[in-house]
Amino acid sequence: MFEEIVLPHLDAAFNYARWLTKYDAEAEDVVQDACVRAMRFLPSFRGEDARAWLFTIVRNAWYSRVTRRPVAVDPLPSDNAVDAPTDEALDPEARLLQQGDVARVREALDALPVDFREVIVLREIEGMSYKEIAEVVQVPIGTVMSRIARARDRLAAALTVPLRSMERVP
Amino acid sequence: MICADVERDLDPYIDRELSPEIAAAIRGHLDTCAACRQRVAERERLGRAVRSMPYRTAPERLRARVAGHARRTRSTRDLLAWAAAAVLVIAIGGGGFALVRSGGSRAGASGPDNLVADVVNAHVRSLQAEHLFDVQSTDQHTVKPWFLGKLDFAPPVVDLAGMGFPLVGGRLDYLSGRPVAALVYERRKHTINVFVWPASDATPVDTAQLVRGFHVHHWIRDGMSFWAVSDLNDAELSDFARALQNS
Repeated sequence: MFEEIVLPHLDAAFNYARWLTKYDAEAEDVVQDACVRAMRFLPSFRGEDARAWLFTIVRNAWYSRVTRRPVAVDPLPSDNAVDAPTDEALDPEARLLQQGDVARVREALDALPVDFREVIVLREIEGMSYKEIAEVVQVPIGTVMSRIARARDRLAAALTVPLRSMERVP
Repeated sequence: MICADVERDLDPYIDRELSPEIAAAIRGHLDTCAACRQRVAERERLGRAVRSMPYRTAPERLRARVAGHARRTRSTRDLLAWAAAAVLVIAIGGGGFALVRSGGSRAGASGPDNLVADVVNAHVRSLQAEHLFDVQSTDQHTVKPWFLGKLDFAPPVVDLAGMGFPLVGGRLDYLSGRPVAALVYERRKHTINVFVWPASDATPVDTAQLVRGFHVHHWIRDGMSFWAVSDLNDAELSDFARALQNS
């Protein structure tokens, strides 16, 4: 039943949609769209992972909204492209920002291309396996793996400040 | 295993997506490489920072709207029939899932299965914590007396070097709510832990299973319960179990 399969994951669906869209109102619309679709697709649900199933629908609902609009999804750099080297991240004196600086972390997450942001959210916040993420995002597991690695590289670069080394300069 | 390997597998490693063998190899490298340990620590700190983000829950009005929509949809007659079909599909799908689960998962929640999981955890812990030995010796006449006075039973200790499984040491471990003997054997670079304690049920058993990528053999002999765990392949661990049983 809808109440047993979809509603238990409504909070998670909203949180995911919120990271996709960055806005509360839009996330609400996306989740509502998704729930209407989920009701329609319920007969095709085969008792597998309900959360991953619902997330796939949320993602499709979001995707069809953004592609209907003139403003496209922020383009994902090709998986072959090499990210700019992050010298700061390699600086042994550099220290990742301590946790607690929620605003900075959110800013860094929001600055990621959405395809990178979502795999990080699904992995870190929803605790999904690479296999589950691959199902939601509908890409091969290898792509999930490389997106997670590159997303973390970018986050690390954005959140790393060579504080100590700068302080030491007289 | 070199730093470049660790760097390549850094993310699947911290996400626990690697095979136990590769993960163990990386752990081994981390023990000796401060730079790679630093890389792992930075990555884990990054994960904690992301996880510290507040979780946004669905607003009440959204929940009410969605639930209302579900009710209204169901009250429509033709959709009612369709919903019944949906329920049927879900019931069948859910039932099948439950069957697969009960048939496929051996490390479930019941007592004996928990013990298997505990045994595997003890094995993994012994490899990770670098506390593999309390007594390190290839001499069974050194290892056996070491347990005297530490346990209320005398575990049988035999060296199987002649069969290609040298004894390398022993330690105390804790399983099934009691201190147990852990005997450590080696095959090439693979560690085999053998946990031994008096069996509560003397019915002879001999089982083999695969839990989290580790092969586990369990048997009861002469009133003792034996558990052999290793990442060694099943064929060789079976040979080992047979050698120990016939010793």
